[in-house]
Amino acid sequence: MLDIKNLHVAVNGKEILKGLSLRVDAGQVHAIMGPNGSGKSTLSYVLAGRSGYDITEGSITYNGEDLAALPPEERAAKGVFLAMQYPVEIPGVTTMMFLKSALNAQRRSRGESEMDAIGVLKSVRAKAATLNVSEEMLKRALNVGFSGGEKKRLEILQMALFEPKLAILDETDSGLDIDALRLVAEGVNGLRSPSRAMLVITHYQRLLDYIVPDRIHVLAKGRIVAEGGKELALELEAKGYEQIVKDAA
Amino acid sequence: MNPALALPNRRVEEWKYSDLARALGDAGFGDASAGVQMRVLPACVEAIELDQPVRPLWVSAHYGKLKTNAVSALSLAKAASGLALRVPKGQVVAAPLRLTVTGEGHTRLLLVLEEGASLTLLEEGDAAGTRNAGFEIVLGANAELHHVRLAPVSVAVQVEEISVRLAGDARYYGHFANFGAKLSRTELAIALEGEGSEAHLSGVSVLSGNAHADVTTYVTHAVGHTQSTQLFKKVVGGHGQAVYQGKVTVAKGADGADSRQTAKALLLGERAEADLKPELEILADDVKCAHGAAVGDLDADSLFYLRTRGISEQEARHLLIHAFLEDALSDIAHNELRETVRGAVSRALNEVAA
Amino acid sequence: MSSAAQQTKQQVAELGDKYKYGFVTDIEMERAPKGLNEDTVRYISAKKGEPEWMLEWRLGAFRRWQTMKEPKWARVHYPPIDYQDAYYYAAPKNTPLKQSLDEVDPKLLETYNKLGIPLSEQMALAGVAVDAVFDSVSVATTFKEKLNEAGVIFCPISEAIRDYPDLVKKYLGTVVPVTDNFFATLNSAVFSDGTFVYVPKGVRCPMELSTYFRINASETGQFERTLIVADEGSYVSYLEGCTAPKRDENQLHAAVVELIALDNAEIKYSTVQNWYPGDEEGKGGIYNFVTKRGDCRGDRSKISWTQVETGSAITWKYPSCILRGDDSVGEFYSIAIANHFQQADTGTKMIHLGKNTRSRIISKGISAGRAQNTYRGLVSVHGKAANARNFTQCDSLLIGGECGAHTVPYIESRNSSTRIEHEATISKIAEDQLFYCLQRGLGQEEAVALIVNGFCKEVLQQLPMEFAVEAQKLVGISLEGSVG
Repeated sequence: MLDIKNLHVAVNGKEILKGLSLRVDAGQVHAIMGPNGSGKSTLSYVLAGRSGYDITEGSITYNGEDLAALPPEERAAKGVFLAMQYPVEIPGVTTMMFLKSALNAQRRSRGESEMDAIGVLKSVRAKAATLNVSEEMLKRALNVGFSGGEKKRLEILQMALFEPKLAILDETDSGLDIDALRLVAEGVNGLRSPSRAMLVITHYQRLLDYIVPDRIHVLAKGRIVAEGGKELALELEAKGYEQIVKDAA
Repeated sequence: MNPALALPNRRVEEWKYSDLARALGDAGFGDASAGVQMRVLPACVEAIELDQPVRPLWVSAHYGKLKTNAVSALSLAKAASGLALRVPKGQVVAAPLRLTVTGEGHTRLLLVLEEGASLTLLEEGDAAGTRNAGFEIVLGANAELHHVRLAPVSVAVQVEEISVRLAGDARYYGHFANFGAKLSRTELAIALEGEGSEAHLSGVSVLSGNAHADVTTYVTHAVGHTQSTQLFKKVVGGHGQAVYQGKVTVAKGADGADSRQTAKALLLGERAEADLKPELEILADDVKCAHGAAVGDLDADSLFYLRTRGISEQEARHLLIHAFLEDALSDIAHNELRETVRGAVSRALNEVAA
Repeated sequence: MSSAAQQTKQQVAELGDKYKYGFVTDIEMERAPKGLNEDTVRYISAKKGEPEWMLEWRLGAFRRWQTMKEPKWARVHYPPIDYQDAYYYAAPKNTPLKQSLDEVDPKLLETYNKLGIPLSEQMALAGVAVDAVFDSVSVATTFKEKLNEAGVIFCPISEAIRDYPDLVKKYLGTVVPVTDNFFATLNSAVFSDGTFVYVPKGVRCPMELSTYFRINASETGQFERTLIVADEGSYVSYLEGCTAPKRDENQLHAAVVELIALDNAEIKYSTVQNWYPGDEEGKGGIYNFVTKRGDCRGDRSKISWTQVETGSAITWKYPSCILRGDDSVGEFYSIAIANHFQQADTGTKMIHLGKNTRSRIISKGISAGRAQNTYRGLVSVHGKAANARNFTQCDSLLIGGECGAHTVPYIESRNSSTRIEHEATISKIAEDQLFYCLQRGLGQEEAVALIVNGFCKEVLQQLPMEFAVEAQKLVGISLEGSVG
C-alpha cells in the first residue's frame, strides 16, 4: 500500500531524511522507533503533506499513486490519516461541528453522498462510548481545555470515524499514563483490519507491548538503520539506541 | 466659524487613523437632519420626538450632555430631529426595540432607563447617508441594557458617538458589528459612575475593498468595584483598514475596579491594514487591569490540521475565520439578534473571500 | 602622565588660542559667550580642531534649525526654553581635585556604598585626585591595548572626527538625519562631546565598553553625540551611564545616539541612569530629549536596547530600531522606576521594513509615592515587511494609591503575514506576598526590593553582569520608603 523509496526531505533548507526506504502492505502494523531528532515527525509530516517539508529526492507511492503530488485534504479523502503528537486547539469550532465538516468533505471528495447531522451524531456516539469520549467533550471547542489523554482519545475517535486505509500514529503514547495508554491502544487495535495498514511512530518500547507490530524499523539520523520483528523492541530497550545504531553502522 | 474647519483631521491624536476632515471634504456634514425610524413602540416605553419645543423633565435632565468634541458638538447644534425614549422604573421590556437611523445629516438620540428597567435594543442604519449621529444613554440604578448596533457597508462617511452613563449596579452590554464605510467611526464613551456597575463591549468588523472602520472607546471607572470587558475582532480583506483605540481610565481611589480588553485583527488582504491602540491610564493601585492586542494571519498549524482531516483549504480558511469571530459574536445574549448579526457577518465574509 | 594632568595641559594650551577670538577669559570656567549664532558654531568647531567638512555639516544643521519650530508635546510640561540664554560650549571641568574621600559629601558616599560601587570607582566619581590612591592610567592603558589589538576604535567623537574622518563621514547622520527633529538638528549643530565606536568585520569586541573608562567624562555633556558602527559579523556591548546619582546643572539634554549594525552584526546598548531628582518635591527633574535610533542595516543584524532608569527624567524620543535588513532583530528591555513626585516617560519604536524581521519589547514600569509612569510604544509593520513578528509585554507595578501608570501602545500593520502580540498587566504588591517575606524574617525594605526585583527579572537578566548587580541594588534604593 505504501512504498517509500530513497526519500530525502529538507526542512527550512536543512536535510532531515537522508534516503529513507520503507514498504508497508495492507493488513500490517509497522513501528518506527528512533532517538530524538532522527526524523520521525518529519516522516509523518511529509506523508501528510505539510508545507515546508520538501522532498528533494526519492518517491512516495500510495496504492500506485504518487502521494507527493496531492494536497493534504486529497490525501485524507484517499484514506491517509495522521494522528498528531500535538493535536491543535481550535477555539470557536465545536468538536461535533468539526467532525461533521471533515467527514462530509471527505465523502464529497470521493463522490459519496453526505451524511446528515443525525447520521453523523449516531456514528460518533457509537465510537465515542468505547473511547470514553463524553458528550460534553463533543460540545466543547475542538481540543480546547482538553487534557493530554482526552486529546489523544479524540484523535483515535476520528480515526474510527474516517476509516482510513493508512493510519500514521505520531507518538500517540506521549504524555499518557498507563490507563490512558491502554484505552488508546485498545481503540487502535480495534481498528486493525486486512485492508488497513498502520505506521506507529514511537520513541519508547512501551506502546508496542499493547500494539504489537509485525515489523519494526529503527530510524536514526534520517535513515532506517535496522529492521526486525517485534523482538527488536526488547533488544532496543536492553541496549539503547546508541548501541543498535553503532551495530548497524 | 466654518464648521468644517473645526472637524478633526489626522493631526488630532484621537483621529490619527481616521482623517474625518479629508473624507468629508469642504462640504463637511452639511446642515441637513437625518431621521430615526421605529416600527413598533412597546407599550410601556415612552417616546418623544426631539423636534418638539416642549420637552418633559426626563429629557431636559439628561439631553445634550454629549458635546465633548467638535463632532458631537456639531450633531447637537445641527440636529433638527431625533428621538428620545424612556423605559420607566422597574419595567422589563421583553421584545427587542428596533431603531433605524436613516438619511443624511445630523441626528440625536436619547435613551433613559430608569431604576431597575431593562431593554434590548437593535440599532441599524441605512447605507446611503453621510451621517453624524449622537446617542446618549443613561442607565439608572440596577438597570440593564442590551444594545446591538448593526452598521451596514456604505460608501458614505458615517460617524456615531455614543455616551453611556451607568449608576450603581447598572449593566450595559453593547455589541457593535460593522462592515465599513468610506470612513466609519463608532465612538463610545462609557462612564461607570456607580459602584457595582458593569460594561461589556464586544464587536466585529468585517472589511473588504476600500472599507474603513474605526471603533474608539473611552471607558472610565470613576468609582471602585466596577467592571468592564472589551472584545473586538476584526477581519480585514482587500485594502480595508480596521482601527481600534480603546482607552480605559481608572480614577484615583477606584479600588476594586476590574478591566479587561482584547483586540485582535486578522489581515487577509495583502494591502489590508490594522491599527490597534489599547490604552490604559491607572491612578488607583488596588485594581485588576489587563489588555491584549494581536494582529496576525490564520494559524498555519490549525489550517494543516483541518486539511489532513479532509477539509479543503478554502473551507478550512472559512471555518477558521468564522471561529476567530465566534467569541465576540457569542457575547450577544438575545438569540434572534445574534443570528441576525451572524447572518450579516457571513454575507460580509463572502465578500472578503471573493 | 596621568589623565588629570593631561587635561590641565590641554586647557592651558587652549587658553592661549582663545585670545585669537577675542573672547573674555574666565579663569574658573571657560565658555563661549552666551547665545547661539553661527559664530558659536564656528567657535565650537574650531575648539575641537575639526576639518572644514565638519564645520560645513554643523553650519548646515544650524541654518536648518533656525527655520524649525520647537514641537509641542501634550504630556510633557516644561517652562519655555530660551535658546539664547545658555552657554553652548564649556571646556572640560576644571574643578580642583579633592585629595581624599574625606572631602566628599558623606551622603553621596553613603549612596555609593549602598550601591556597592568599588572604592576606586567612588574616588573617580567623586572627583578625588585619582593619582593619589589608584593608578587609573594603567587600567586605561591595558584596556586601550586590548582594544587596539582587536582593531576596535573607541574614542571621544571629537577625536574620531580628526583621526578617522572617512569612517565618521560615511556613517554620521545616516540613522538620525540632520533634519530629523528639532532637537536632533540642534544637536547636529552644537554637539561637543560623545563617543565613537567602530568594530571591524568579524571582531567580537573583547570587553564591555563603558563610559567608566573614559575617566575624563564624569559628567555628561549637554549635547552629546554617539555613533557606534558594528561592521559585518561583529559584536559590541556598550554601557552608558552609571548607577551613581547624576548631579547636573543642565536641565535640558539633547543627545543623539546612532547605532548601525551591518550583516550578521550585533550591538547591545545598555543604559543605567539614576536621574537625581533634586528634592522630594520633584523639582529639578531633567528633560532628556535624546534621539536614540538603531539601524539594523544588514541582513541578520541585531540591536538590543536595555535600560534601567530611575528618578525624574522626561524623555522626548524613544530608543528605536529600524529593522531594515532581512531577518533582522530588534529588542527593547526597560525598567522605569518613579517614586515621590517623579515622572517617567519611556517607550520604544520598532519599525519593520525588511522580510522576516522580529522585535521584542519587555517594559516594566514601577510607580510609588505620587509618581507617574508612562510607556509609549509603536510597532509598525510596513507594506512590504513580510512575516514580521513582534511580542510586547508591558507591565506596571503600582505601590500605593497615589501614583499612576499610563500605557499607550500603537500597533500598526500593513502586511497580512504579520504576527504581533501585545499584552499588558497592572498589578500591585500583594499584602500576602509582603507578609510572607516578613514572616520569613526579611525587613520591609528588603521584601519590597525582593518582590520588585522578581517583577523586573526579565529585564535585569539582559544587563551585562557588572551593571546587573548595581542595577538590582538601585531598584531597591529607589523604592525606599514606598511601602508602609
